[in-house]
Amino acid sequence: MSNLEDDLRIALRREEPPADFTERVLARLNQPPAEPTWRERLAVLMRPPRLQWVAVAVIVSVIIPAGVQYRKGERAKEQLLFAVRVAGTKLHQAQHKVAETGRMGTRL
Amino acid sequence: MKILGGFALFVLVGTAGYGQALDLKGLEKLAAKASDSTEVALDGSLLRLGAKFLSADDPDQAKVKKLVAELKGIYVKTYEFAQEGEYAESDLASIRNQLREPGWSRIVGVKSKKDRDNTEIYLKTGGSEPGGLAIVCTNPKELVVVNIVGKIDLDELSELGDLGVPKIDIEKPKSTKPADKKDHD
Repeated sequence: MSNLEDDLRIALRREEPPADFTERVLARLNQPPAEPTWRERLAVLMRPPRLQWVAVAVIVSVIIPAGVQYRKGERAKEQLLFAVRVAGTKLHQAQHKVAETGRMGTRL
Repeated sequence: MKILGGFALFVLVGTAGYGQALDLKGLEKLAAKASDSTEVALDGSLLRLGAKFLSADDPDQAKVKKLVAELKGIYVKTYEFAQEGEYAESDLASIRNQLREPGWSRIVGVKSKKDRDNTEIYLKTGGSEPGGLAIVCTNPKELVVVNIVGKIDLDELSELGDLGVPKIDIEKPKSTKPADKKDHD
């Protein structure tokens, strides 16, 4: 028992810090932070909260404009098909009427 | 039926040159009176964009893609009216004036007394700034004006017309008579 007490007393005895301890701590505090490496930067970027913002940025800058362009293209396609068919139909009807009249003239 | 122009069918088979589009703005006021109206204006860039979306696997769309390859613009205005007399011949005056300009020539004029239909086809060819094709169809309750700018095979266009107009939903300008408005479905 007394040995244990002695051991504890030795282990927990008060020790004074080295004389330059305060200066070293202050010097470390005044040092500029080290530049993070690209891996550290990537790791920071991939942390969940940042990743969400990256996803939002990708959606806003790439996916939404592509979707808008797709919709515009589909609409242009529908308008084009409609326009061509209207023009073609009117042309075809005129041809048909001309041909019909030609046949009537031949019969007479 | 009275034929105003004694033009044979083969006259239509050919190509029209390209140039400036007709100014069809004078017709836009008719959209307010029409029970159904569709206005399509596809300039060069929209035409190219739309053509890119046409499927090469669909035979009809493949034909359209080939047909419009050299076009600079397609402009179509169709108006249907609930009653006769809701538009006047004077509404077409500005278009007819443009079609009287040098370079334009009317190749077909078909007037049907029975149906009271009047179809005129104009072609602009030759010169350094040729125009293209214009179709003006009038009926007491319907008005259709088409202007195609660019080189187009009229025979192929007519073949596509033989297939009929597709029933598609085109975003249309708002009419002041929404109650009367019908949609192409």
